[in-house]
Amino acid sequence: MSNTEHPVVKKKKLAPDRCIVTGKGDWYYPLSDIYETPDNFTVVIDMPGVGANNITVDMQSNELIVNGEISQEAYTDEKLLYSEYNIGHYHRHFILSDAINRDKIEAKMSDGILTIILPKAEHVKPRKIQVKEA
Amino acid sequence: MNLIRWENTDPLEGFTHIQREMGDLIDFLSSGSRTEGYVGAEFPQIVVSMNKDNVIVRAEIPGIKVIDLDVQVADDILTIKGERKPNTGEGHVTYLRRERNFGTFARSIMLPEKVDAEKVVASYKNGVLTVTLPKAAEKKPKQIEIKKS
Repeated sequence: MSNTEHPVVKKKKLAPDRCIVTGKGDWYYPLSDIYETPDNFTVVIDMPGVGANNITVDMQSNELIVNGEISQEAYTDEKLLYSEYNIGHYHRHFILSDAINRDKIEAKMSDGILTIILPKAEHVKPRKIQVKEA
Repeated sequence: MNLIRWENTDPLEGFTHIQREMGDLIDFLSSGSRTEGYVGAEFPQIVVSMNKDNVIVRAEIPGIKVIDLDVQVADDILTIKGERKPNTGEGHVTYLRRERNFGTFARSIMLPEKVDAEKVVASYKNGVLTVTLPKAAEKKPKQIEIKKS
């Protein structure tokens, strides 16, 4: 797959009534991958431009809510000549099932990518069942 | 495996399901951006701006290592090349949802002004590449001092 051409990423705008609006500006729907390992579920979300300080990950009942805010001060003394993407905040939420140990959720941010590690609850982890000789 | 009840008394019940599926399909088609993004557009998407001294090109490329990124300036053409790798780093994993893309990309743009290729600075922060290209000296308005004689 190393030589495949990278497909373009278009931002999808979100209606503001679906987000928790804390700042001015538009809200966008960030792209995300979810994958499973034997111990965890991992959610990877692309949020270019968001630093670790501007991101909030909240648990509300069974919903995991991710908000990333972007400061829009950067363009103040610049004249915009050509623009293909819009700068805006990010919002996304996920419903979590009981298969996740909610006390041990971890999140880290690096290079505009938020990684949330959701450890599996003990009762869903794969385990070997010992076969006894009868 | 799902267990499906076989005694389906209401013959119209099947239609409710079809109706919901059609609703989802219409939502999918009307959202549009999913397919149109692959036609006629390029990655990475860029924003070009300018202030008094510099031309500034920004590109959103989340999750790339600086070593995999290549930025070149030749005359007034800026080229951004790179490769985004599938970054699991955890060996074999099972994907449940996949929206993020990866692969190699290259993009060249023509700059709006002549720039000083020696002084170009590129930085990468929070997944955004910012290339600052100082305008070439002769393009700046030269202040001429008026001597009083």
